Amino acid sequence: MRIFSWVLAAALSAYACHLSVQHATPIDAALPFLAVILTVVAWASTPTVMLAVPLLIGGEMLFGDERVRLLWFGAVVAGALVYAFAANGTDETDGKSAEAAGPYRALYVAGAAILLLRWIPFPVESWIREGFLLAFCLAIVALLRSTPFALFVGVATALFTPAVPLRTLFFPMLILMLAAFVRRALPRLTVPALALVAVMVLFFPWSGIVARATPYFFRNARPATERHHINQALAASKELTIEVPERATALIVSGANVPRMVRGTVLGVLQCGPSHPSHSSYSSHRSPADCQPRPIVIGDASDWGYLRRENFYAARNPLPRDPAGRVRDYGYAAWIDGAGRVPLPRGARTIRVTADPRLPQGSSLQVEAFELER
Amino acid sequence: MTAATLIVLFVLPLVMLRGRTLLTCWGTQLALTALAAILYLHVPIEARLGFITVAVLHVVVALLFIARGTKVQWSANRAAVIAALLYALAIPAMLRTPIDGDEPFYLLVTESIVHDFDLDLANQYATLENTASGRTDLEPQLGDPVGTNGEKYSRHEPFLPLVMVPGYLAGGLIGAIATIALFGVLLVRSTFLWFSEEGIEETTQRALFGFFALAPPILFYATRIWPEVPGAFCFVEAIRGLRDRRTQRWAPALLAMVLLKLRFALVAVMLAVRQGRRALAILPILIIPLLILQFATGSATSVHSWRELLPGAPVRYAIGFFGLLLDGMSGIAFQAPFYLLGIYAITRWKEMPEGFRVGCVAATLYLVTLLPRAEWHGGWAPPLRYIVVFLPVFALGAAKLWERVPRGVIAVIATWTMGLVIHGLTYPWRLFHIANGENPLGEWLSALYRADVSRLFPSYIRLNDAATIGGVVLVAGFVLFRFVRVPTHLTIAALSLAMALGLTYAKKPGATVHFEDAHVKHDGGELHPHVWFVQRFLQRGGWMTRDGDSMTFLARGGDHLLHYGTGTPAMIEVAGHAYQLPPTGPYTRAFRVHVDRNGMTTIRVLHGQIFFERMELERP
Repeated sequence: MRIFSWVLAAALSAYACHLSVQHATPIDAALPFLAVILTVVAWASTPTVMLAVPLLIGGEMLFGDERVRLLWFGAVVAGALVYAFAANGTDETDGKSAEAAGPYRALYVAGAAILLLRWIPFPVESWIREGFLLAFCLAIVALLRSTPFALFVGVATALFTPAVPLRTLFFPMLILMLAAFVRRALPRLTVPALALVAVMVLFFPWSGIVARATPYFFRNARPATERHHINQALAASKELTIEVPERATALIVSGANVPRMVRGTVLGVLQCGPSHPSHSSYSSHRSPADCQPRPIVIGDASDWGYLRRENFYAARNPLPRDPAGRVRDYGYAAWIDGAGRVPLPRGARTIRVTADPRLPQGSSLQVEAFELER
Repeated sequence: MTAATLIVLFVLPLVMLRGRTLLTCWGTQLALTALAAILYLHVPIEARLGFITVAVLHVVVALLFIARGTKVQWSANRAAVIAALLYALAIPAMLRTPIDGDEPFYLLVTESIVHDFDLDLANQYATLENTASGRTDLEPQLGDPVGTNGEKYSRHEPFLPLVMVPGYLAGGLIGAIATIALFGVLLVRSTFLWFSEEGIEETTQRALFGFFALAPPILFYATRIWPEVPGAFCFVEAIRGLRDRRTQRWAPALLAMVLLKLRFALVAVMLAVRQGRRALAILPILIIPLLILQFATGSATSVHSWRELLPGAPVRYAIGFFGLLLDGMSGIAFQAPFYLLGIYAITRWKEMPEGFRVGCVAATLYLVTLLPRAEWHGGWAPPLRYIVVFLPVFALGAAKLWERVPRGVIAVIATWTMGLVIHGLTYPWRLFHIANGENPLGEWLSALYRADVSRLFPSYIRLNDAATIGGVVLVAGFVLFRFVRVPTHLTIAALSLAMALGLTYAKKPGATVHFEDAHVKHDGGELHPHVWFVQRFLQRGGWMTRDGDSMTFLARGGDHLLHYGTGTPAMIEVAGHAYQLPPTGPYTRAFRVHVDRNGMTTIRVLHGQIFFERMELERP
């Protein structure tokens, strides 16, 4: 009888989430899925975890801004999972002990976290390899005695395994083997481990970016400001001279078909352009050093699509120092393009961008836009 | 202030926690801070809102460890220290906007006592630029006592201003508020001492501490200038004194309580009745404040009248009763849900501690006179103003029940309460709300969806369907909770479904459109009567428009009765149809208009000055 009440709760919660969907992102659409996951975790730990469902619905209703809303979902789910794992009390009123679930509780929480991080958006790219990955990661958690640290290792392994190509599944297998050796020697590290799990789950709406461009979330995400679009791709040795618009602060550039290039490889050069017919291109107070040619290298910008799931494993590009790419897609499919900001020579009225003559055929330096001051 | 807040938040656990519990708490706080820092890089929200949210979460973490930790040194004194630290942080947050409601008037009396040694505010009104409140718009309120020589007295009892004098002399406005906060701290200490005396276990007290001391309405009334928190302290002390038969405790406490607010005499009367043979001992406590008022202002009862004690119509009692419990703007369920447990405790009267029963009996006469009043909701004040004084009693009832309350219910209450605290500290001016039947949450949702979401929240100020349904649900819920145990997970799932269905319903057009509401998009015109209109809650609100102004809103198709007022013939356009409106004189009148189909509808004023009150669906 009791199990039926839980099934009923899951069904009601999922239906409520389905009814409450107000926005069009895949994360909003996945709210019923989240409700079911949370109900299962609540069943395995403590019913209080179910409170996350009305909180998700509340967020869906209240927050129109997409970033705020999705981060709210992340915060609610992260809080619920950490609470489900850490709650050591009993809920006498429901006659059910959170302790009763014992070591399995960690497996439920880990499973829930992995599903959230990897199985959204639907449909999942490959059920079989995702299923294997889930099994490996749960085995890691179990092997490491279901401690908070085990939870962290299991969830992190799932998050950082690309699973495309298939051979990357050796990574969780390797971790599993290591776990078998060190299982007794590892500490619990309750607070830091749970905090790290919380951080990973917090950003589950963009888990693909967390996995493939982790530093992005620890940098000051400068909001996209107004842009003056150029949209020119320069093949090797090609150059482009452009007038700098008012309020321009940076040039946004990226590479095309350069994912194998390593940090520091030159993509092109940025320098001051010739004088504009009606203005001097140099202000009177500017030193000649300001107009020194500035190389644009991998690290200032990267291949435009290198953070896509299917491209990432083969790519050697780093995240640009000052990433200007836009966040695209959701869940594990989320990625940002490899555009980066290159500061403009101070006071320049025109600039000249020249693509490096050594760029391979088919590759190019893409001059995307000027970023304008607010 | 930011640095001070962070220091206090990390020092806070040190007051009660020790050993591993303390270290884990600090670890959790550090992790929370790190998470907040990461979120700060990505969340485009107001910095103040974000900071207060994180600060409240820090306090919640500390409270969780206080409630559940193994190495906790709990005592009423330590609880008071924590309350003092947090009230000190909350006061500057409350002062983001000038003090409001009765507060500047209390301060004005304090200033009069300090500077003129009298209670005549005539010169204070004349030199408002000198008041520490910063409110230069004050003027005597309608019905304020006037002395024989034209003195302008405040309607408020002078005892609270007198008590605030030392604080005011020491620190001006902040010092005056600190005086009230000090009473808040004393209230916390007395209440938990009382709980111990009534046999409440320490673990329960620890769990309840945050709900009582650091949650609305105590938190907000302890950090603003109102007599309610000092009154609550006196009330608890009076009950403790009577319980221990210590005249030196209850007599001054009860006298101070009546001096703070004459209406509290009704509480003293009931305590006297409860004392039986010793009732006469309380008589001086009733007489002294009357004499003082007579001497000071020339009127023993100030603005009060004995007629206030006469019974009102039964329906007024029902409205007041359910309003105090369920109203979206001023009811316990929405503004301090923890105390619903205390109300529910009344149904288990015999199991309740003696203090709870004494407190409830003492509150009876006061509440019976409060319920039929049009101002049962507290008027222009933070929510639950008139019952703050009894909240320690309800907290005691909740404490007695605590172990039986499902954890899921506690989690819902805790989450809602956190939201209230964050909202109140970030936007203190929103603690004050015009009595128009809406509340901040309803207004926000209404503006977001351009639909009348406010009608989902029960309103007993402007009676709506949700009020009727809410009343039935509350009674059924109490009965159900008394005899049936619904599993937590099903309760929460049902709550989720109710929220989703509610929004689905709310997004459809309602049968009545109130033109002052947030879901109506106003292009021109103004609120009428204006926000500061004295006793606005006695008026029917609406929107005043002139030539060219328009209002757009979601409406149902069909014939509607448009309630409007205009002094001269006017012309309007409703959903593409033009209507000539006859003048109504000083009253409003209903006029039939037609809306072709469900959807966004615009009323445009073509000619005249028109007050639009509401539009009711007559025939779909």
